[in-house]
Amino acid sequence: MAWPTDITAMEKGRVLEVAFDDGKVIRLSAERLRVESPSAEVQGHSPSQKKIVTGKENVAIVAIEPVGNYAIKIVFDDGHDTGLYSWDYLRRLAS
Amino acid sequence: MVSRDEVMAALASIPGPDGRASLADSGALSGVTIRDGKVFVAIAIDPTRAKAMEPMRAEAEAAVRAIPGVAGAVVTLTAESARAVAGASPGHAHESKAPPVRHGRPSEPLPGVKHIIAVASGKGGVGKSTVACNLAVGLAKLGLGVGVLDADLFGPSMPKLFGIHSKPGLAPDGKRLIPLESVGVKVMSIGFLIDEGAPVVWRGPMVVSALNQLLREVVWGELDVLVVDMPPGTGDTQLTMAQNVPLAGAVIVSTPQDLALIDARRGIAMFNQVKVPLLGVVENMSYFVCPHCGGRTDVFSHGGARKEAEKLGVPFLGEVPLDIAIRANSDDGRPVIASMPGSPQADALLQIARRVADTLATGATGAKPAPRIRILE
Repeated sequence: MAWPTDITAMEKGRVLEVAFDDGKVIRLSAERLRVESPSAEVQGHSPSQKKIVTGKENVAIVAIEPVGNYAIKIVFDDGHDTGLYSWDYLRRLAS
Repeated sequence: MVSRDEVMAALASIPGPDGRASLADSGALSGVTIRDGKVFVAIAIDPTRAKAMEPMRAEAEAAVRAIPGVAGAVVTLTAESARAVAGASPGHAHESKAPPVRHGRPSEPLPGVKHIIAVASGKGGVGKSTVACNLAVGLAKLGLGVGVLDADLFGPSMPKLFGIHSKPGLAPDGKRLIPLESVGVKVMSIGFLIDEGAPVVWRGPMVVSALNQLLREVVWGELDVLVVDMPPGTGDTQLTMAQNVPLAGAVIVSTPQDLALIDARRGIAMFNQVKVPLLGVVENMSYFVCPHCGGRTDVFSHGGARKEAEKLGVPFLGEVPLDIAIRANSDDGRPVIASMPGSPQADALLQIARRVADTLATGATGAKPAPRIRILE
């Protein structure tokens, strides 16, 4: 299982770059992370409840907090801060 | 009833802090609250421009007050950090609600505490607390500085197991609690704060907040290991511990019977999910040696936990017998490792402590360093 070594928000919070210990480096836009947030506010409690989030072209990451050993919480400048992005989830978003 | 939309419509006619976008679209609104017909609006501004912004504030207040049905309006200017103000760009300003609110705490290590380990089982009644207590005493016997956090808020066992009946004192700061000590181990439990027999009847959010207090608002001092005795299951407590502190590893306690192993497997799967390394599995109530005839009976079957550990690729830490001395000493508040040193029962438990200490010293299998997190401009 690939493990992240470096998690960096760059370009004024518009891009998140994650480097994994298997050498792979992924880049995700803040917009993508925001609209695909794993939070129940976005995903609901079943696939049928998933909300389509729009209008986030300019959203930016303002803070990143570690969650235990397995995830990060990303705080966006639109106030969204309930998504916990696990290492697996970040990797999946990039594939 | 005044609606948020009406308030936003009123604010759309007023130029925002930059004089171009309207207040409603400027991204400067950091909070709109409507209660009993009264409207409260907060506008985030650069604090050095507070005076210049006053006319805008007054205008906004007048506009909101003019909405039919509004009983009162209070518009305040708040000083946001430059980043939050600059970051709220017009593209999504119509959705900007409150400034980022922190839910829970970020996962910070406990200052002064080197390793935090969880003792969990999945199933209740398998002797998890007894093992946790003796594991802690065993680690202390090996020369480590050890604390125990009783995270089983609904069924705290540590006061009884350690024979502690007093209440914890307050630290000089008047806020934090001083853990109580027994056989060289610092112990904190909700059981110290409530009467024995008094039930804790709480929903999840209360559990989470009490747990954070027992964890962080306690003067642990310098510890090599903090042993956390988990309640059974895979719920709020487990998730809180997995999210709010970096756990160095988990010890799973199970009896050898299938019924307990099913839940042990769930516990292991949960720790895998949240990337907490497994220090190993303990088989408790592993066998029973009759004190009268010396014959051995495998009451709960035997070897099931070892087999399960092998199957899942998790270290097996050892077997603890179903034994009247362990039971009686536990009920008397005398951990058997300390009260019966050299006995087979104590040795079995001490060996488990030794294996855990060795694993912590070298790092548990699968333990990886936390990633470096940076925010570049």
